[in-house]
Amino acid sequence: MKLTQKRKIKKAILIIFMVLLALIYVYPIFLMCINAVKPFGEVVIDVIKLPSKPEWGNLTYVINKMKYGKLFFNTLVITVIGILGIVVFSSLAAYIMDRKKNRYTQIAKAIITTPMLIPFQTIMIPLLKLMTTLHFSGSKIGLGIQYWGFGVPMATFIFYNFMKTIPAEIDESAFMDGAGTFKTYRLVIFPLLKSVTFTVIVIDVMWIWNDFLLPLLMVNGSNDTKTLVLSAYSFVGQFNTQWHYAMASMALAILPSIIVFIFLQKYIVEGVVAGAVKG
Amino acid sequence: MGRKKKEYFDSVVFTIPAIFLVCVIFYIPFLTGIYYSLTKWNGIAKEPVFIGIDNYKTLFGSASGFLTSMGFTMKYTVLFMLLSNVLALAIASALTKKFRGVSVIRSMFFIPYIMSMTIVGFIWKFIFSQGFAALYEKTSMGFLNWSWLGSSKLAFYSVVFVGVWQSLGFYIVLYIAGLQAVPLDVLEAATIDGAGSFKRFFMVTLPLLKPSIVTCIFLSLTNSLKVFDIILALTKGGPGDATYSATMDIYREAFQKNNYGLGSAKAIVFFVIVLIITQVVMKLMDREEGDTAKKRKGGAE
Repeated sequence: MKLTQKRKIKKAILIIFMVLLALIYVYPIFLMCINAVKPFGEVVIDVIKLPSKPEWGNLTYVINKMKYGKLFFNTLVITVIGILGIVVFSSLAAYIMDRKKNRYTQIAKAIITTPMLIPFQTIMIPLLKLMTTLHFSGSKIGLGIQYWGFGVPMATFIFYNFMKTIPAEIDESAFMDGAGTFKTYRLVIFPLLKSVTFTVIVIDVMWIWNDFLLPLLMVNGSNDTKTLVLSAYSFVGQFNTQWHYAMASMALAILPSIIVFIFLQKYIVEGVVAGAVKG
Repeated sequence: MGRKKKEYFDSVVFTIPAIFLVCVIFYIPFLTGIYYSLTKWNGIAKEPVFIGIDNYKTLFGSASGFLTSMGFTMKYTVLFMLLSNVLALAIASALTKKFRGVSVIRSMFFIPYIMSMTIVGFIWKFIFSQGFAALYEKTSMGFLNWSWLGSSKLAFYSVVFVGVWQSLGFYIVLYIAGLQAVPLDVLEAATIDGAGSFKRFFMVTLPLLKPSIVTCIFLSLTNSLKVFDIILALTKGGPGDATYSATMDIYREAFQKNNYGLGSAKAIVFFVIVLIITQVVMKLMDREEGDTAKKRKGGAE
């Protein structure tokens, strides 16, 4: 009896401690949000105090100044293009690599997945030159297409590991019904890859949406391709003494991720865990 | 015969887009990079000038800054791996307990991970400069008044701290997934055998958690070796060059000092170092895992 009571108290203390720790953990984000809606004078006097009256003007100023709508659209286009290519080309390759095991697919598997070992910074210098020559830098589509190459090795690896769990009898029966290799992929295999496709989408959306260095290299000052994160970076650099505008631009830059996370958190966490374990 | 041919035809057609993409993005730039590394080139002149292995000689000299930044990266990596794994495991164990609102708390730790690292760097720049000053006025706790980004010694810890803060939630969810896979009956059996909670954790849970630990160590290793965005936003490598990471040094050499040749040489050396470190760490963990597996098997016999 006494022992269970002691255990209960211990658990209660642990819970209180974890709640406090979690609150302290997200406190910086809270501070950013409240200072994003304070008049400049109040930021200077006291960062911690809540705004006496929320100054929504900061947000509208920043939205107009950084052309938020356009940036959001740019980032969305780049991310969607990137994801589409990664999913299609990786799943195609993974499908054939698992189903037709021959010398050629063995080599193909090595060629496609080995680049996981090459850090981005190792190739970024020649890549920039190459992409400028190909006119792939400074365009949304060009940037999206580059993500295909960067995403394919890991995604192929994840798809390949999942393909092993789909029994070969399934495509054999489709083959008996007269479906060719591509038709089998499109109508039978791809629908069965749903859960792993979702994993790939989650980890790659988070990566492309938040990516910084590739857009920084490729954008070259052209406003047409600036992403949200990149623009927030230069905006904060410009306004680094006017903290209220800096905070407003940062809060707006992460707002889409936060909203998506609130609604899809269960799936996002699942996807991230699955991606890490399989990748 | 026809079938075999068809099989090869399909194999080629289905893999060719992926192969083409990785060639354009990885292999061609990689090989070009090796060539650049043997040249002197400012990136603007028409043709790079071949100078042999001079860049590699310069690189290992003290003036190039590469070794210093590589040293920083190593220190960063060790502390980052240690902190993120130990803290994530501790928090994960607390958050596998069942209580109301536990999922909300898990999400709170995860939020920084969905944010861009650049923004995270800026938020903390604000906290370290403005936030700490305001808190110091209220609480007069001395550490709040220290120069967290201004002194080179403290800046190192600040950078590691912010890096850990950003990605800790990721390692927490991985460890939670691992902990939830530990079979309850094994833990119960240990309790019946009289093991206390500490003993149970170190003797039962930890060995069973091996796959999660290996995953987390590997991921924290590769991520911290490539650290870039957070430091750029937080300190820009300063004060002085105290927090210049190897990746930032490559960036600076090529795009700010316009030494494409030397920058490429640094990039290649960086690749080799990263490859060696990750392979060695994986081998070490593999061997250890093999040992425990053998032991477990031996025990069963």
